Amino acid sequence: MTSDELDRILSAEDRIVPSSGFAASVMDTVRREAATPPPIPFPWTRALPGLVVGIAALAGLLVAGFALLRPAIAAVNPDTFSLPQLLAAARVAAQKADGAGWIALTLLLTLASVYFSFRATGSRN
Amino acid sequence: MSATEDQADVEKVLAGDTSAFEGIVRRWQGPIVNLAYRFCRDRARAEDMAQDAFLRAFRTLASWRREAAFSTWLFALATNLFRTDLRRIPIHPLTLADIPELRDPRAIDGGLECEDRDRVVREAVYALPAKYREAILLFYFHEMDVPAAARSLALPEGTFKARLFRGREVLRSKLARVRVSPGLSEEVP
Repeated sequence: MTSDELDRILSAEDRIVPSSGFAASVMDTVRREAATPPPIPFPWTRALPGLVVGIAALAGLLVAGFALLRPAIAAVNPDTFSLPQLLAAARVAAQKADGAGWIALTLLLTLASVYFSFRATGSRN
Repeated sequence: MSATEDQADVEKVLAGDTSAFEGIVRRWQGPIVNLAYRFCRDRARAEDMAQDAFLRAFRTLASWRREAAFSTWLFALATNLFRTDLRRIPIHPLTLADIPELRDPRAIDGGLECEDRDRVVREAVYALPAKYREAILLFYFHEMDVPAAARSLALPEGTFKARLFRGREVLRSKLARVRVSPGLSEEVP
């Protein structure tokens, strides 16, 4: 089969005519679309403080966790290192640590999230 | 098709006159439905796909940059949508090996009638890998205008030409044995 034959066959594809109601059907859909209110954008300005607090809390948690584990890591003998040994040392270090600070921080975060939630929903009413 | 009419209708739609979009639909319904039909070979599905394309065009009309023709923008948008639709729901999982006339050359030793030969050629196009099939479909839809077809597929012309060349080579090699019965070739218009 030559290129010319191929061109002739593929150029002679059937053409179809849209059905008589096609344009009207499209316009109905378009009008419905136009009448639909635009989607509510995500409230970034309201969510931003919460996100910042959340990220800061997570970072603080990681730093505190690492600080808590540091003595345990230092106490582990690198020659005889094993994960259960490290976890046991970490548990001892955690028991020694004062838990009051963590409880206070958790309460504070909870109160802050409740406060921001009320403020966000209350201001819309 | 008038570019100034398109531009005027677009301006009106963007200014809030939704009914002006009807002019765009009426001017472009034929080409867009036919483009969809080339992709899916199913009239009902082609109209559904074309309707989705017009709706997408209405939603994103503001993104048409005036340096390109409205038709170029509309064809690129529609082509992109049709390709996605066909990837989601393929028309049929046909391969070149599924076409009996290509699988068993003995069956065509006596030659095919013109219309059978044309059907085999078209079926072979639909059995090509998507990137070659799309290049060939768009090339012939745009009446062998390479720049227009490449723009519709959002491809550089070089890439488009390479795909077109490769697709036609595959087709020619697969269709090498297909020939029209002696005595019938004169009937080819």
